[in-house]
Amino acid sequence: MPAPLLEARSISKAFAGVRALNDVDFSLFPGEVHALVGENGAGKSTLIKVFTGAIAADSGSLTVAGREVRHHTPATARSLGIGAIYQQPSLFPHLTVAENIAWTLEGGGLWHRVDWKARQRLAAGLIRRAGASIDPERVAGTLSMPEQQIVEIAKAIGAGARILIMDEPTSSLTDREVESLFQVIASLRAQGSGVIYISHRLNEIFSIADRITVLRDGETIGTRNTTEVQPTDLIEMMAGRPSASVFPKREVPHGAIALELRNVSSSAAGVRDVSFSVRSGEIVGLAGLVGSGRTELAETIFGLNALDSGEILVEARTVRIGSPAEAIEAGVAYVPQDRRRHGIVLEMPVAANTSLASLRAISRWGWIDGARERILAERYVAQLQIKTPSVDATCGTLSGGNQQKVALARWLATSPKVLILDEPTQGVDVGSKSEIHRRMVDLAEGGLAIIMISSELPEILGMSDRILVMHAGSIGGVLSRAEATQYKILSLALGHRPTGEMAQIQE
Amino acid sequence: MQAALPQPALSRWRDRFSPYGEGRLLLALLLEVGAFSAVADNFFTWDNFFEIVRFSVELGLIALALTPVIITGGIDLSVGSMMGLAAVVFGAASKNWGLPVPAAAAIAVLVGCAGGALNGILISRARLPPLVVTLATFSMFHGIAEGLTEGAVNYTGFPTSFLFLGQGYLLGMIPVQVFVLLVVFLGYWVLLHHSVFGRALYAIGFAPEGARYAGIPVGQRLGAVYFLCGLVSSLAAILYVAHLGQAKADAGSGYELDAITAVVLGGASVLGGRGTLWGTLMGLFFLTVLQNGLHLAALPSELTGVLTGALLVLIIGFERLRAARPSAPSEVEGNPVKNSQVAILCGAILTGSLIVAAANIWLVRSTGESASRTSFSRVPSSGDRRLIAVMPKAKGDPYFVSVRAGAEEAAKELGFDLIWDGPTGLDAAKQNELVENWITRRVDAIAVAVENKAGISTVLRKARQRGIRVLTWDADAEPDARDYFANQATPEGIANTLTDEAARLLSGNGEFAIITGALTAANQNEWIAFIKKRLSRYPGLKLAAIRPSDDDRDKAFSEAQTLLRVYPAMKLIMAISAPAVPGSGEAVRQARRNDVDVIGLSLPSISKPYVHDGVVQTVVLWSTRDLGYLAVYASALLVEGKIPQGATAVHAGRLGPLRVRGSEIVLGDPLIINRANIDQLDF
Amino acid sequence: MRKGYSREASVAGALIALLVVVAAVAPRYFSRENLTDICLANAPVLIVAVGMTLVILTGQIDISVGSMFAVCGVAAGVLAKAGLPVPIAALGACFTGAALGSLNGGLVAYLRVPSIVVTLAAMVALRDGLRWATQGAWVEDLPSGFQWLGFSQSSFSAMILLLAAGITVTVGWGLRNLAAGRAVYATGSSEQAAHLSGIDTRRYRFWVFTIMGALTGLAALLNSVRFNQIPSNSGLGLEMRVIAAVVVGGTAITGGTGSISGTVVGVILLGAVGPALTFLGINPYWEKAIQGAIILAAIVADKVSVRVAFLSSRKHASSPASTRA
Repeated sequence: MPAPLLEARSISKAFAGVRALNDVDFSLFPGEVHALVGENGAGKSTLIKVFTGAIAADSGSLTVAGREVRHHTPATARSLGIGAIYQQPSLFPHLTVAENIAWTLEGGGLWHRVDWKARQRLAAGLIRRAGASIDPERVAGTLSMPEQQIVEIAKAIGAGARILIMDEPTSSLTDREVESLFQVIASLRAQGSGVIYISHRLNEIFSIADRITVLRDGETIGTRNTTEVQPTDLIEMMAGRPSASVFPKREVPHGAIALELRNVSSSAAGVRDVSFSVRSGEIVGLAGLVGSGRTELAETIFGLNALDSGEILVEARTVRIGSPAEAIEAGVAYVPQDRRRHGIVLEMPVAANTSLASLRAISRWGWIDGARERILAERYVAQLQIKTPSVDATCGTLSGGNQQKVALARWLATSPKVLILDEPTQGVDVGSKSEIHRRMVDLAEGGLAIIMISSELPEILGMSDRILVMHAGSIGGVLSRAEATQYKILSLALGHRPTGEMAQIQE
Repeated sequence: MQAALPQPALSRWRDRFSPYGEGRLLLALLLEVGAFSAVADNFFTWDNFFEIVRFSVELGLIALALTPVIITGGIDLSVGSMMGLAAVVFGAASKNWGLPVPAAAAIAVLVGCAGGALNGILISRARLPPLVVTLATFSMFHGIAEGLTEGAVNYTGFPTSFLFLGQGYLLGMIPVQVFVLLVVFLGYWVLLHHSVFGRALYAIGFAPEGARYAGIPVGQRLGAVYFLCGLVSSLAAILYVAHLGQAKADAGSGYELDAITAVVLGGASVLGGRGTLWGTLMGLFFLTVLQNGLHLAALPSELTGVLTGALLVLIIGFERLRAARPSAPSEVEGNPVKNSQVAILCGAILTGSLIVAAANIWLVRSTGESASRTSFSRVPSSGDRRLIAVMPKAKGDPYFVSVRAGAEEAAKELGFDLIWDGPTGLDAAKQNELVENWITRRVDAIAVAVENKAGISTVLRKARQRGIRVLTWDADAEPDARDYFANQATPEGIANTLTDEAARLLSGNGEFAIITGALTAANQNEWIAFIKKRLSRYPGLKLAAIRPSDDDRDKAFSEAQTLLRVYPAMKLIMAISAPAVPGSGEAVRQARRNDVDVIGLSLPSISKPYVHDGVVQTVVLWSTRDLGYLAVYASALLVEGKIPQGATAVHAGRLGPLRVRGSEIVLGDPLIINRANIDQLDF
Repeated sequence: MRKGYSREASVAGALIALLVVVAAVAPRYFSRENLTDICLANAPVLIVAVGMTLVILTGQIDISVGSMFAVCGVAAGVLAKAGLPVPIAALGACFTGAALGSLNGGLVAYLRVPSIVVTLAAMVALRDGLRWATQGAWVEDLPSGFQWLGFSQSSFSAMILLLAAGITVTVGWGLRNLAAGRAVYATGSSEQAAHLSGIDTRRYRFWVFTIMGALTGLAALLNSVRFNQIPSNSGLGLEMRVIAAVVVGGTAITGGTGSISGTVVGVILLGAVGPALTFLGINPYWEKAIQGAIILAAIVADKVSVRVAFLSSRKHASSPASTRA
């Protein structure tokens, strides 16, 4: 066996005390496609960032082409032949495709002259090799998502990367594009390059990968040769043993239907024909992989995305929700996933954050009653046990879990009928996590209908009365609390029906 | 993190009143007040305090209106121009259409609202960057104001009940408009710090996306902020009119930058989110106290800009440094600043300041002979030496620079102390402010070259009531507002001399054009009126065009070039602003149009090369040096009570006896300067 | 930026429309002398606008150019008057500008103080500092070799035009064709993408301000040598004029997109309007209003056209045909 192109040993990394990677080993050989799989949040993206030098590992060693790399930066990564294609392309929106591709490829000093014709030829050639045809003269800002992805791939191919990292490159590509991408990967493999391939689509992995490494909770669960492993084994490895942690779930009588969706579609959000209902007192888990349209669905219900067709009913009345303000009016609340950008205003104090969506309730003729605002905030600080020196403290100084509770408080203060929580415990320490779970149960008991989006399967299983699994913008299946298992959810999320062969294996 | 930590009272106070480092500014403000109390006469008094507040009102209103705009991360450059527009609309409504003051004010406010709404719509609906939109409306509003008034119209003569709003006192000492500032401040305080609306603005400024997710209608809020900004600008315009007693298109020009400076000094971040009204108020007072203190301490008012600039960079830079240190660099930022880079930067800053300092010293040396610089280096002792304060219309104008030499000559001769200070550009409001400051300082005599007759008369009367002798020179105030007017030449005399000279050169026949100063310049507009009147005597002369030069030599040059092309038959250019004569002369010379004559009103020193070349035929002027000499000499005589009632002649030192006509001391006829005598003149 | 000449085209269209009207009413406007005069008067503006384009392309702004212009002009005069050879004095003006610009650039790039704050401070401090130093006096009695730098008027006029054109073409060419020029666009386009591509954005921010200063110094020099005296109050309002020209020329105030050719058209439009209105005999009192309206119209019209273009390109992008061979 030849020497590995890339070898990582005992890589660990923690963010603000939260462990993202723990003692991870990984290796990549020339001419190999090595798939990296795992649930959302298993640590795949962090590992990749360590490889590309975007972040520095806390401990562990990284060897590239036989030499140990110390101060790893994006520049050294490039010089070592590591190319990455991220889920979110980062192109210069004002520059043309040719130029975007050329940026990283052309060496030379500041004063070297740009050969536009060569750039174009290069870009056109690389895009062809990536199996697409995009006019290299187009401005990157006008490209669609898959087109931008293709440009990123072309960039990496052009960089002559010996080690190519693809982070879900196919999540927004059409079948045909995927096929040509696989041809590209095959030819790269034939040329002796190594490809680290991350995908949620198991069928893709099985058709392209040589080896598969499974990550879970920041740890390496195992590395298998594709020929020696079955999809079901993989799902089990990803899911792990049933979680030992205890969820504070209580049985709560369900009331009337609080929210009902009838054939809701939004082309802007990529949501297709979604119908379901949630009763008051019920917690519905919305599972699915990243990119399956969970957040987009929530944002459509909340009025952030335009509704193309279908109906939304709150307490059996059809409501028109064209903006978040109208959603609040209708009794829908949404705690967004990106807490720091959307969920709270970091620079504002706890009290102001708590009251931001319900200012009308604590004001008279536009005048904010400071005392009532404090009372409101203090009530939620007490109720949600938010740990803060005072309600005047700036939110940015709180821990992630407490920030999340403030975001939750903001929406509870609107007295909603339906509460949508998007990844409510992401990036939150363990203590706050169960705290948040307890509050959810309390709220459900109080008659609130809750939709919880989560990528964490134990959380979905532990907290939900019912589980909707999304796949490619629509509901792939519905599981009751009793029948749901990690395996079934993952299968639905990956587009496998837990029937036939795979269901048998499971039983 | 522990729950409910007890919080020291001090830090809670700090959170409330100084969330964005306003405390540092307060410290700077206190230091400033302390320093001026020590060096400036009568600085630390109630009277002076209220005067400072009075002169802060218009700028303060603008700064208050800009605070929410900047908090949302936007900017509005059009506020100053909107003031000018609203002022002339108010003036036109009240004077031309004969509407009562409240109706006229309502119309002006409506115009302000319309302008604000235009900005708001373009920014929130069309999603254009605020800087770009308001840059365009900045020049458009100003242009409309100039167009409506043809630049020249200066509405005056408002009812005294209205002027009370800007000039009167309540309870004997509190200026009336202070209450307006207070009301607007409280209104904005409530709006920004206690209302649903204000809360939304902060959220938008900090996190526009986050605000959307919290259900805030971002576009509507932004539109409303710019709308309000227009509204308050028009309110400021009405107060400005009441304060100065005149409504002109140039009201409020330049206020936008002063106001932005005040807001930014007050801790607001141009990136949005940060800022308080309290901070803005302190930033405002920092600026106005600085100006006032410099005047009272007889320090050069140019220090204002230098100190403001330095403080801006210091305060903001300090904050950035502090903000940058504790937090780890963001993911995007990545590579932190290296020590070597900091060293290079410090080096660059040091070299830069050294260059500037060295250049300044050099300049002082090299230009020293044309403007002897005595007065600002020594603070006049307030002991037994008498103090005369002399104010030009604009400090930087070469004409006034040469007057100064004469003024200093007289002061030296008589053993008086002299303050020479004035606005940096033509600015009636600044003139009033200075006179007020001089009253506070209790100078013995004030000699003013009046920019705005109606506006300054009020403060001059006040000065006379306080026993200060008042003299006007160059241009007069209302007769009852001053003791004497040192009359160098009447506008009519100047106009007639110029017109006659033009007729002589053209032999009574032909086309000519006028290049004036700014279109809004009062003096020049008066001359033009008399020139037009005098033209009736010369039917063969035709005034082809009047073009503005904005007192800018380069602009005068371009305008003259264009005139030469547009009117090929034109045989003479009459340049009636000091920089316009060399500008026009150069244009004619470069065009090699020997057939075109240039005459005008300018200084011999800057016209000399062109007179020698034969491009400029005639420059009409009085001896500026003598004028300065007379202004100070006559003031001194007044202070010493040496001009008896009903005197018909005054013996003014080296000028000999001068005729007194009523309450005007006549300097003599204008000089007609040409190649024959220009070398004998030393100004 | 090889595509998207639409902005330049629309502004050029407006310019042509204006010139057609002028041609019909006042054909003398197109006399060689008049055009030369207009070009000469706008050559310094163009040079400053070229620098401003660089600054705005990186997403920054410089409102201190008017004050720098005055300081550099006076510096050139003082140096010449002090007996230094004229070429040294000329270099001194450019160097003063570059030093002042690097001060701005250092504060913006390395201390990350917002550029509008830095240059606002520089604007007031330099203007008042100059007033203080000169007391408003002009620099007079310059050595005879100062005007036209000792050349004849006509040959030096040609030199000014050539120099301005040369700088414009060089910078325009460099922006388009040199890696450094593309990095200027990249810096303003996306900070994150620039970081991932290994571009040190701070370095470019620093240098564009320094270049801006040096160009302002050069412009001040070229402007002052047309005369034999140097006023101490020149350049008032220059910043607004230059920013307006750049923005009208299609450079986005948020950075990343724009071109020197657009700036050239913008400068020509704003420079040609003033004299054209005189030729058309339009009341001078309405000139500023008309100019303001033209700026506003150009910006709004462009926004509308961009939106249309964006929508059509979105359609283009979402149609599968474009991504499939």
